[in-house]
Amino acid sequence: MIQVHVSKRLHTAEGPMDLVFSGTIEQGEFITLFGPSGAGKTTLLRMIAGLTTPDSGTIIVDGQPWFDSGRRINLSPRRRSIGMVFQDYALFPNLTVAENIGLALPREKRGVIVGELLEVAGLQELAGRKPDKLSGGQRQRVALARALALKPTILLLDEPLSALDLQMRLKLQDELLRLHQRYQPTTLLVSHDLSEVFRLSRRVFVLDRGEVTRSGSPTEVFSQSKISNKFRFNGEVVHIKPSGVVYIVHVLVGQDIVQVIASEREIATLKVGKRVLIASKAFNPLIMPLDE
Amino acid sequence: MGSDMNSIPGTIAAIDTDGNLSLVDIEVTSDFRMSALIVETPEHCPWLKTGHKIKILFKETEVSIARNLSGQISLRNRFAATITDIRSEGMLAEITLERAGHQVVSIITSRSAQRMELKTGDQVEWLVKANEVSLTGN
Repeated sequence: MIQVHVSKRLHTAEGPMDLVFSGTIEQGEFITLFGPSGAGKTTLLRMIAGLTTPDSGTIIVDGQPWFDSGRRINLSPRRRSIGMVFQDYALFPNLTVAENIGLALPREKRGVIVGELLEVAGLQELAGRKPDKLSGGQRQRVALARALALKPTILLLDEPLSALDLQMRLKLQDELLRLHQRYQPTTLLVSHDLSEVFRLSRRVFVLDRGEVTRSGSPTEVFSQSKISNKFRFNGEVVHIKPSGVVYIVHVLVGQDIVQVIASEREIATLKVGKRVLIASKAFNPLIMPLDE
Repeated sequence: MGSDMNSIPGTIAAIDTDGNLSLVDIEVTSDFRMSALIVETPEHCPWLKTGHKIKILFKETEVSIARNLSGQISLRNRFAATITDIRSEGMLAEITLERAGHQVVSIITSRSAQRMELKTGDQVEWLVKANEVSLTGN
């Protein structure tokens, strides 16, 4: 469990801003920090990593103080069990993929752990390559494997997928989910991609001008609708197909594509990529057991 | 939620609750009352209270159209209206209706529209089952 209570005055282009964050994150939880740039999301990650010092407060990880301004405790980044991935991969250009992943590992464990991570992250074929021979998506996969090599308690991800195209982003989101399930690091992701927030995290903190304005599950936080329907899902429009006076809208819900009939008026507010709430009356769905 | 599907503002006039179900009567105008059967109770839903302003939502494809309807019918949501527009293309037809200044759209098969010889200006009734009606509050 991570208990973070920190504040720091930041000097921004629009004048001073007080970043205040107070929250508890459970072991193995995947949370996102969402908000416009300049809201303080990256600074918060840096404070947890020990790269930026809060003005005051405490950061307690599994009962151990990493930072406590009152007791003058401030562990150096090296002594914090942290893995980090940023938007710009920051791989060592003169080292191979395998060497990059194994860099921080003790020699005797290196072979086994690197071997496993190469396999899990699907990088075996690329083990001997240098970063400049990799695509953007491959480099981020290496960065992610490297961040997980020391089995960190906390994984900090600062918009790691934002430089990638949509298809690669979706693929790496799946990968990230898989790796998270396997290694279960407590994960904090900075993102301003709403789809990413929905796909990856169970809980989101919305930051604006240094303050948490809303928090909760992505649905609680982003669904403005107070609709009565009990049969409803969040999804993303992936395809819209006209059919006479109506349209057939394909919506990605979890791993499944569902189809919804929409009228011309409904379509006016929709486009591919848009997050949507789909709702039906609980009276409509047929329910039947599956063959086992 | 925009005003994209059939969406009519109204005021909750009465709520009858049984277990987890509520049958809600909503007054749109004094002679235009709709009923919604929902899986929700006033106990758990802050806006589900008599006198609260809400929106009534229902899918175009759940709206039936009748002319000279006689005999008994279980539906209580049946309203006289005037057809103001018909758009037919392929298998489906979109019928726009008006009642007391409120517009309702029905999507039915073109076959039915032709069989009933529906045209702009016709006086008809539109019907929707209470269990197809959703409510959204503020």
